[in-house]
Parts: sequence; structure tokens; C-alpha cells
Amino acid sequence: MEQIRVVTIVFCLLLLLQIVRSVRREHIRVEYSMAWFGVAVLLLGLCLSRTALDWLSWALGIHDSSLVLLVVAGLLFLFIFFRSSIQVSGLKDHNIVLAQKIGLLEWELKRQGAVIAQLREQQGREQRPSSSGVEKRAHSL
Amino acid sequence: MMSSDTSSLLVIVPAYNEAGAVDGVVESVRGVLPGVRIIVIDDGSWDDTARVAEQGGADVFRLPHHLGLGGAVQTGYRYAFEHDYERVVRVDGDGQHDPADIKKLLKAMDEGDYDMVSGSRFLAPNGYPTRTMRRFGSLIFSWILWPILGKRMTDPTSGFVAVSRRALEAFSGSFPLEYPEIEALVVLKRKALRFSEVPTKMFPRRSGQSTINSWTAAYYMVRVLLGVVVNVIKYESRYHTGTRG
Repeated sequence: MEQIRVVTIVFCLLLLLQIVRSVRREHIRVEYSMAWFGVAVLLLGLCLSRTALDWLSWALGIHDSSLVLLVVAGLLFLFIFFRSSIQVSGLKDHNIVLAQKIGLLEWELKRQGAVIAQLREQQGREQRPSSSGVEKRAHSL
Repeated sequence: MMSSDTSSLLVIVPAYNEAGAVDGVVESVRGVLPGVRIIVIDDGSWDDTARVAEQGGADVFRLPHHLGLGGAVQTGYRYAFEHDYERVVRVDGDGQHDPADIKKLLKAMDEGDYDMVSGSRFLAPNGYPTRTMRRFGSLIFSWILWPILGKRMTDPTSGFVAVSRRALEAFSGSFPLEYPEIEALVVLKRKALRFSEVPTKMFPRRSGQSTINSWTAAYYMVRVLLGVVVNVIKYESRYHTGTRG
């Protein structure tokens, strides 16, 4: 039991360190780091407090404390993965809407660009005869 | 509304790497419905699909990356809904659908006041040999969907459809991303919209390959069945309701 406690404590400390590093370097956003932070602190608390672990063993009806630690860690990770799936799904939904809007906007920009080019060409055609007329008048003078 | 009215009709052609076929599809649609607006939705193709479609005379919406068939189709539906189109016909960019049947879809929609009419390759013999696995899959889905939809759809995987404005409203809010045809039927049923099917012809693909092969077929079956179940129990208030009595 002692060995797994030590391993879990080391793992939790490393996890906390990694979370802080990732947040500082903006590899993970603060709101997404919260769940991992909570899990690491909870597991660390369980490992450090013998009373809490024993109470949980009694509450879950599992006599082996190391198994309790494993079950709690597994459940917490499942919770985080599920939460991440919800977040990924939300992001995908937003991504779809954005991609669709970009597609529509690009087409609209292209269409308006073509209209403007056409108008300029038309304007140019209208100006050309009048400017040549001015040149002719200048020559005749 | 008369079927010949093309001003309020939009034809959308979702296409992913269909450079070898999409111009033919645009040309064929134009031949059947001159003056109709055709929009090709290029779903992040890495071939010349967009350029070929543009040269064929279609408006082309280029999605910045591949969304999947449902995402591409929904782009067209969203555009049509936001720009007040009354009806949309979806024709696939691989050339398997016969645009000559578009009028048949629209006529059935008008006469039956349906919100969606799809073309079925199984309602009447059409001369095109459908792969046994595909036929078997359609048959299974047809039977599974029967009690859910309250009617038998012989070709629930058909992508050749005409949809009304009411269906457009529903689809522009909620449309499945992967393999959307079957789930779309359940969406319509959930929203109390009416649908039917008419016999249509089917051609072999002009180019490219189907996304469903023997390896992905199992995934397809499970994914679609899960999608159907989810759509049956879906929490309605997340989406536009658009129901009618």
C-alpha cells in the first residue's frame, strides 16, 4: 500500500506541476485546467490523509485501500474524459458553423468584387469617349 | 406553387473531390431546369472540383476544410433558408442522380404538400445494379425505420431529395454531420413534417469512389443506428421547432 501511495503522490505532484507549466505557457486554458487541477488535488489529499482513505474504503465497501485509490482515480478520469468529449462536441459544432459562414462570406466577397469590377469597367467605358472628345476639342483649338 | 417556377428554387450539389463529374452534373441540371440557380458546395476538396464547377456555370461555396456530407449539405440549406428560397433540391456531385427526375420530385412535393420527397432507386426497376450489400443495408434500415417513421421508405439512404421551406428551417438548425440521409428522416418525423418518396433512376458514379466500403459499412450501420436512437429521444428545445399540425 505504501508503494502505491508514494507513486500516486509523485504522480499527482508531477501532474500539478505540468498543469501549472501548461497554463503559464498557454498550452491549456485556465477553464480546461480546472478539472485536472481538481483531480490532482483530490487524489493527493486522499493519499496524504489516511483517515480520508480509510473512510472511503469503508464507504465503498472495499477493504483494500490501494484498490480504492485506483477506483477513485479511474472514476475521476472517466468524468474528465466525458467532460472533454462534451467540450470537443461543442467546439466541433462551433467549428462547423464558422466553416459554413466562411464559405458563404468568401463567396459573397467574391461576388461583390466581381460586381465592383464590372461597375468600374462600365464607368471606364463611359469616361473614355468623353475624354477623347475633350482631346479632340483641345486639338481643334 | 408550380413546379416550373425556378426563381424560388435552388439546386445544391455537395461535392468532395468530384472534379471528374461535377461539371456534368451542373450541365445536366441546367439542361432540365434552365435558369435555375445551382450552388456547388465544395467540401474542402483537394482536386479541381471548385474550378470545374465554376467553369460549368455554378456558384461555388468553398468550405475552408472538409466538414463531411452533412456539413456541406447544411451549408446549402442554411443559405437557402436565409435567402428566402421556397424549395431546395439536392443532387449529389458524383453524377449518380438523374436531374431529369427533379421535376418528378417537385411535382410529388407540390401535389402531396410534402416537406421532403426523396428519390428511391428501389421503388421501380431502374436498370442500375445496386450492390448487394447496399441493397441489404437499405432493406434493414427501411424495416428498422418503419415503426419510427410510421411509413415504409424503400430507400432511406437516398441523397436525391427535394425539401420545402419548412424542412429547410428544421435542417438549417439541426442536421446530422455524417451519413445524414437516414437521420434527416427522423428529424422530419420528430418535427411533425411530412415526407414521401418517388421512383427515380440511378446511374453508376461518373468518377471517384463511394465513402462507404466494406470496411466502413459496419461503422456506418452502428453510427446511423445510434444517430436514429439519439434523434428519437433528442431534447427538442435545443433546436428550432418548426412543427405543424
